[in-house]
Amino acid sequence: MSTLSTRDLIINVPGRPDGFALNMSIEPGQIWGVLGPNGAGKTTLLHTLAGLLPARSGQVQLNSRSLTALKRRDIARRLGLVFQERQDSFPATVLETTLIGRHPWLSPWDSEQGDDQRRAEQALNTLDVRHLSNRLLNTLSGGERQRVAIATLMTQNPDILLLDEPTNHLDLHHQVKVMNLLRDQAGAGKTVLMCLHDLNLAARWCTHVLLLHSNGDACWGLAKNMLEPTALERLYNQKLITVEADGAPVFVPVSF
Amino acid sequence: MKSVVVSLGHNKDTKSRNISAWWFLVLLALTSPTLYSKESATFCVQDDLGKEVCLKQAANRIIALSPGATELLFAAGAGDRVMAVVNYSDYPPAALELPLIGSHTRVDMEALIALNPDLVVTWVTGNPPAQVELLQELGVPTFAIEPRTFEGVSSVIERLSTLAGTEPEGYAEAERFRVGIAALTQQYAGVEPIPVFYQVWEKPLMTVNNEHLIGKVLKLCGGVNVFGDMQRLIPRISAEVVLQADPYAILTGSVDGVSDDQLDEWKKYAGLTAVEKNNLFFVPASPISRPTPRLLDAIQTVCGKLANARENLANARENLESVRGNLKSARENL
Amino acid sequence: MTRSLLGLGVLALASMAFALALGSVTVSPADLWQVVQGEGSTLHRTLLLDLRLPRTLAAFGTGGLLAVAGALMQVLLRNPLADPYVLGLSGGAAVGALLAMLMGMGTLIISGSAFAGAMLATVLVFGLAHGTGSWTPSRLLLTGVVVAAGWGAVITLMLAITPSYKLPGMLYWLMGDVSYARSPWPAVVVLAVSVVLIMPLARNLNVLARGAMQAAALGVSVRPLEWTIYVLASLLTATAVTTAGSIGFVGLIVPHMLRLILGNDQRIILPASALAGGTLLVLADTLARTVVAPEQLPVGVITALLGVPTFLYLLHRSR
Repeated sequence: MSTLSTRDLIINVPGRPDGFALNMSIEPGQIWGVLGPNGAGKTTLLHTLAGLLPARSGQVQLNSRSLTALKRRDIARRLGLVFQERQDSFPATVLETTLIGRHPWLSPWDSEQGDDQRRAEQALNTLDVRHLSNRLLNTLSGGERQRVAIATLMTQNPDILLLDEPTNHLDLHHQVKVMNLLRDQAGAGKTVLMCLHDLNLAARWCTHVLLLHSNGDACWGLAKNMLEPTALERLYNQKLITVEADGAPVFVPVSF
Repeated sequence: MKSVVVSLGHNKDTKSRNISAWWFLVLLALTSPTLYSKESATFCVQDDLGKEVCLKQAANRIIALSPGATELLFAAGAGDRVMAVVNYSDYPPAALELPLIGSHTRVDMEALIALNPDLVVTWVTGNPPAQVELLQELGVPTFAIEPRTFEGVSSVIERLSTLAGTEPEGYAEAERFRVGIAALTQQYAGVEPIPVFYQVWEKPLMTVNNEHLIGKVLKLCGGVNVFGDMQRLIPRISAEVVLQADPYAILTGSVDGVSDDQLDEWKKYAGLTAVEKNNLFFVPASPISRPTPRLLDAIQTVCGKLANARENLANARENLESVRGNLKSARENL
Repeated sequence: MTRSLLGLGVLALASMAFALALGSVTVSPADLWQVVQGEGSTLHRTLLLDLRLPRTLAAFGTGGLLAVAGALMQVLLRNPLADPYVLGLSGGAAVGALLAMLMGMGTLIISGSAFAGAMLATVLVFGLAHGTGSWTPSRLLLTGVVVAAGWGAVITLMLAITPSYKLPGMLYWLMGDVSYARSPWPAVVVLAVSVVLIMPLARNLNVLARGAMQAAALGVSVRPLEWTIYVLASLLTATAVTTAGSIGFVGLIVPHMLRLILGNDQRIILPASALAGGTLLVLADTLARTVVAPEQLPVGVITALLGVPTFLYLLHRSR
């Protein structure tokens, strides 16, 4: 169980003046959704929270210790990331790719043991891609590759899960499956934060929401407080109609 | 082995016997250096790199690493001791029968070593230094040649014959060459010098300076090499400088001296004296390019061509004179 | 997977035995055995111990160095088209060697000069690519390609101004020639030591191959690892080029061929590259010096003639 927190964090979006300083505490059991228009800096924020990009000012802390003071390996054991864009220059099988998730746990001379194999296969199973284990990654569809990426994260099994648009390319069935999986993970004590472009997903599954504006303004809090129609319309510069379904609000963009 | 026969004479006197014995010893002492050196130091010469090459006995298993070296070995009388040669060793005809061990730039080392040579004749500017170094490291005796003068050619023949133990033939051939050169030098001593250009290669355009044996051939025949003073042995030049120098004759080497297309480029420049006077000549390539006794043939060929060139020039002048003469009389008649 | 490494090892030894047995002069297995035991005729001893053995070891070492360097470059640049020379290393070495040849130096200085040139090229590209602080693989690649072109121009200039009799030597160096290797030991030792040193990093390389961000997210210290690979690959290539000139093709094709058969795990690919690259070059060199003896062919030509059909066959089979 780990907590990711920020102290006066200002992310570095090149060419944009300083945004609002972020002081959040992302705790175990919480599911955070980061919403905002294109170019607001959602991916930059995610990468900064993961320690992959330097902040413009302020700190990111993992269990009260600054990320910059920690070794990459130690961070990787507690924090994992699913990227929006992936690089696949070399052919690799699905199983090989997933097993890479165990890297932070293995010392240089270890090779993957039976336990590691089992974790990987289990993760693949959960994501419905076990039958593709020996297929080359670049022969899969976008949705299948996305599920493999998530399976890799599950294999890594960190306390903090950061995901960038996890439902990209996924069909409805798997969208729901993945979101339910994340909810289960949070229920088991993991900390979840994801960037979403679909605010209805946030409405259904997130406990907390961060609204990131393109000019750097930000506000965060409980989902039910943040998902307020006027604020959302201002965020997306788009008129919305709010409907209720199954106990949660549904926001529909209107064309006039 | 010189045998020294000493007659102890008919003196049965002990003192005379002792004196005879003494003379015997003196004679032995005086002749022994020659005996001694013949055993171990007679086959010692310097190669063209100044290195001392010494063999314990006459070289019997020789390998030549250039066509020129092959010819020189045959000239030195050691042709029957040559075991293998490199590509293009085509003279004398007997050399064509010899086994090949590669080219002068890439030798088959294994084949060479397998023949167990006691002397390898190398070519300074032709064989890659790395290969020669390898030979030396393997303990094979090497003799480097690089003659740049006619005397140098004679000297190489003599030195090779010393190493091969064929001094009589070698020295004779070297002397024949010297005499030949002297005769030709005298024959062409008074000819009118004309500027010439020797084309070694067409693309890129290459020529020789006067350090090169070809330059010396041209000089002997009364040709003034327009690029004789250039620093490089085989300079690469442009057509422009040739046009600027305006040689009266252009020569190049070809197989057997047969005319081919290598000088066709120059025909474009009608203003070139050599083209105008039809002084584009082909000479057999091998004799002039190799540092061997065949240079005598090459000199005769080149001198002949240059004589033709002078004739063409003279005819042209005569024509010019007669044209002037006609004009003058025509004017007078007006 | 150790089975494949074992198989490659056996293949390597077989190729070396093949190389020792073959040549312009036939040496029967009985003679070979005699020499091994310390006896045998002087001719056979010279042939095997002074000519064939150093040449075979040099060929193996060089081939292995190039293949491993190629594999490392491909991971470093995340580009399957990378080879050991893509960053201009062989160009720098060539300029060093040709300069020494131009000045009439001996083979030892030529080798030293080649090595110095290679190292200079490494530092130059690294320094230029570093620029404003962060270099990415694409920036490194672009800088390297441009610098390589620069070296190419210098080489052309040197070839143009050199006296004609020095040209063949220079051209053979540029084409690659194992016969000029003075001693096989630098190549073999550097290869062995490097492979041993890189094995602990091999899994990190697997992760790095998936992308720098992904690798960092999985706990790899990306920058230090990339520097290490760069320096190591440069050292391997410099040693190879110093030993036998710039032999092309091996560094690009061998890692690819192995990937088609053995998959993408660097823990296998790296030692396999060392073995397979060495084997390929030993075979190529043996053919180059025997197939039209006494004519000697440049080894780079044979490597391509052997490698291209093999690669195409493997590619076809993997579809």
